[in-house]
Amino acid sequence: MQGGSSGIGYGLKYQARCISDVKADTDHTSFITGTLSLREENEVHLIRLSSGGTELICEGLFSHPNEIWDLSSCPFDQRIFSTVFSTGESYGAAIWQIPELYGQLNSPQLERIASLDAHVGKINCVLWWPSGRHDKLISIDDENLFLWSLDCSKKAAQVQSKESSGMLHYLSGGAWDPHDVNAVAATCESSVQFWDLRTMKKTSAIERAHIRNANYDMKKKHILVTAEDESGIHIWDLRKPKIPVKELPGHTHWTWAVTCNPEYDGLILSAGTDSTVNLWLAPISAGDEPNSEA
Amino acid sequence: MGTDDVPLDDKAKRMRDLLSSFYSPDPSSTPNAPSKHGTLDAINTTSFDPDQYMNLLVQKSNLEALLKRHVEMAAEIKNLDTDLQMLVYENYNKFISATDSIKRMKSNIVGMEANMGQLLDKIMSVQSRSDGVNTSLFEKREHIEKLHRTRNLLRKVQFIYDLPARLGKCIKSEAYADAVKFYTGAMPIFKAYGDSSFQDCKRASEDAVAIIVKNLQGKLFSDSESIQARAEAAVLLKQLDFPASVREFAEAIRAYRIIFPDSGRQLITLAQDLVINHFETTEQYVKRRISSANLLGVLRTIWADVLLMDEVLHEAVLPDFSLEAAQGAVKKYVASTFTYLLQDISDVLLRVNVSPKEAAEEHPLQVALEASRKAVLQGSMDVLLDFCQFLDDDLGLLVKLRDFIIDWVQEGFQGFLSALDDRFLLLSGRKNSSSPDQGLTEGAHSEKVLAGLVLVLAQLSIFIEQTVIPRITEEIAASFSGGGARGIENGPAFVPGEICRIFRSAGEKLLHHYVNMRTQRVSALLRKRFSTPNWVKHKEPREVHMFVDLFLQELKAIGIEVKQILPQGLLRKHWRSDSNGSTTSSRSNPLRDDKMSRSNTQRARSQLLETHLAKLFKQKVEIFTKVEYTQESVVTTIVKLCLKSLQEFVRLQTFNRSGFQQIQLDIQFLRTPLKEIVEDEAVIDFLLDEVIVAASERCLDPTPLEPPILDRLIQAKLAKLKEQNPITP
Repeated sequence: MQGGSSGIGYGLKYQARCISDVKADTDHTSFITGTLSLREENEVHLIRLSSGGTELICEGLFSHPNEIWDLSSCPFDQRIFSTVFSTGESYGAAIWQIPELYGQLNSPQLERIASLDAHVGKINCVLWWPSGRHDKLISIDDENLFLWSLDCSKKAAQVQSKESSGMLHYLSGGAWDPHDVNAVAATCESSVQFWDLRTMKKTSAIERAHIRNANYDMKKKHILVTAEDESGIHIWDLRKPKIPVKELPGHTHWTWAVTCNPEYDGLILSAGTDSTVNLWLAPISAGDEPNSEA
Repeated sequence: MGTDDVPLDDKAKRMRDLLSSFYSPDPSSTPNAPSKHGTLDAINTTSFDPDQYMNLLVQKSNLEALLKRHVEMAAEIKNLDTDLQMLVYENYNKFISATDSIKRMKSNIVGMEANMGQLLDKIMSVQSRSDGVNTSLFEKREHIEKLHRTRNLLRKVQFIYDLPARLGKCIKSEAYADAVKFYTGAMPIFKAYGDSSFQDCKRASEDAVAIIVKNLQGKLFSDSESIQARAEAAVLLKQLDFPASVREFAEAIRAYRIIFPDSGRQLITLAQDLVINHFETTEQYVKRRISSANLLGVLRTIWADVLLMDEVLHEAVLPDFSLEAAQGAVKKYVASTFTYLLQDISDVLLRVNVSPKEAAEEHPLQVALEASRKAVLQGSMDVLLDFCQFLDDDLGLLVKLRDFIIDWVQEGFQGFLSALDDRFLLLSGRKNSSSPDQGLTEGAHSEKVLAGLVLVLAQLSIFIEQTVIPRITEEIAASFSGGGARGIENGPAFVPGEICRIFRSAGEKLLHHYVNMRTQRVSALLRKRFSTPNWVKHKEPREVHMFVDLFLQELKAIGIEVKQILPQGLLRKHWRSDSNGSTTSSRSNPLRDDKMSRSNTQRARSQLLETHLAKLFKQKVEIFTKVEYTQESVVTTIVKLCLKSLQEFVRLQTFNRSGFQQIQLDIQFLRTPLKEIVEDEAVIDFLLDEVIVAASERCLDPTPLEPPILDRLIQAKLAKLKEQNPITP
């Protein structure tokens, strides 16, 4: 409610680029974060908000082989998460599982459930379906979209289908539509492409350059929020993809990431390179304002 | 093998066999189990062996059973035989009937082909004949149509030629209604061709019409005619659009009154219609661009007429009635004046968009700014002066409208300025109009908006806020104040504070938009620079990369644009870096290098470490400050944003040692030129250092270049630049 709140801090030893909230853990507010260090030993931390809500406690500390560029927690199993990592020269992606009873082991090690090893070149991110139990994964690299079927019990992931995004379209990331398990949005250099996973073909696109991050609204269908480098935040109705429904100023420099609140309509959280996090109230039918910064 | 076991085994075996024979693709691959054990029921299987069967039978059964079996078998055999025969007969039947039907079909069709061929021929001949008929008739048809058209034309021309004669006849027979009808029918043609082809006719008919009019007028004014006739005469005169002067009209009315004391209502309506007509004409007139003097003239005449009629026809209360009508006209005039002013200003601004490269002026933006400033200020003053004339005039009509006029002028300005603000935002492309049909074109960004135009608009908004609005307020207070028709509770119609606020925020928005547009262009350049090469396998740095040239070029272009429009800042801060405590300056100074005792690599490495430490203790530098309306502020903001983007691009890559050294070299080269054009050198230093730190964190082996090599490469680049521009500014 007040601008410029200070928040609760947690320190990692090295720089980190990724943090993911553990949706599947409904008893606590937990996050998984991974470090990005080129020359040192990388780690994954499982942190939890204390019951008093005053501090973040590290529940688990695991070592991870390489620097982590993308990390995403599985929405239906709180011990499973995916990472995209790099040795500096090559990239890899894998699904990991935190061992049971990790709190009691001396030095718990992550179990590698599956490797997504069909990629050549730079991998951008791995997407889980955000709305429930689904045994498929999407991984996006610079030029291709892969659909994997994951079997956690058999510890195997197989490529189900793969499609290239076409010449001169470099993909950078994406988001899975929580309302339609067959629709996925992929952000690319000059547009956001929408794919149908059953046919692996593009269905439509929003022409807009330099979108860094896109996120679907969990409550309303057809609403997509995008963060663009310099132009701020835009809210789109996918049925009319020519002009955005609403524009928010974003940040002083780039807007890096944006998410919609899954519970409250119109609450949008954005993070930018000007070292601030803004909370926006933008219900689709009324006005908007930034609320707080940190 | 006991007999008890055998049936069980046999059954199981039989089941297994059936299933396997059903599922196995190759009947010969069925397991040989049955042949091993042999069953009584195996008679239907493919691996039936009669000897084995017989042996088994003989073994198992006694004589009676054997005989019974024999009889059974015979019966079965007979059955099978009859079945077989029936099947064969049926098959044959079917074959035969099939053959018959095929034969019949064949005979049916045989003839058809020939018939088809004949049909085709006949139809072709019919078609060709019909074409022939068509073509032969075609010319005749055309000819007929042409003649028809000519005939119509001739009829019309005949009518015109006959017109004078006909009119004369009508005059003689006093059938004025017909005459008028004929004449009005021919009017359009006279208007179009009267000067060229039908001169004589026109003249003759005009003479005739003049006679008619005279007669009608005579009828109208003569007291001896009947009502009917006079009314008819009046109507006909009206149809002829004869500008019956009001004086005559008044005379007519007086006459009427004398004759018809109770025809008041009709006269009133007639008079009111006349007034309405006058004012409608006026409204059409004001849609064009006229000065208020013209309008005054018009209003004066109308008012004179009204007064004249009023003498005659008091009950119509014409003055008040015409007051209402006049209100509409004057209000429209006020509104249209503002619209024209808005249009003028837009036109001046849009001239910037028109290929500035071809413009002969050196500073197109400056010229545009001056022109638009003048347009706004001078235009508003002129408009106000114009309106003043309304108030100064003492025409009775206007005196009554005075209060309204004051209100309209104030509201008009309020509306005009808001509309101007909207237009600015629209021109700058900042505002997406929400109407759906416009949205499609806006969304495609089809209009390329020049960044220069945006800057001009920003400065113009500030000018409006600071200069124009106070002037307007003054003028309004001087001439247009005091007692509007709006009630006190509504407050004055012109609220300068609000307008000032609107323009101030518009100016800021436009300034930010300009900064964003420029930054985006440079970002694209930087993005390409950092995402194209393979940094992990980068080669040794040979020279400063050419992207710095492009970068500096862009900044120079921005500087030129900005210099034309924005004023200089108040103080220029000069920050020399030797007052800084940090050791991040690796500025080339040959004298210093010689005195170094430690090895160069170590010194470079420790410099990096010191950078880290120094960062912790240095004061946090404000990167994102508010943009002011000065040259330096705008350029500095753009440079800061670009350097931040550069840092972010660097953070996304992974470098090998040579890649890192290349970055170090480029950044070092940029230090000097950038510091010259911005007003806050410390921030630039800070941001450039951040880039180096980010690069070192992403590098597999962050060994920096030795300072002498660094200096040598930089000097080489400077020398090359001097070569290319012999007249260095």
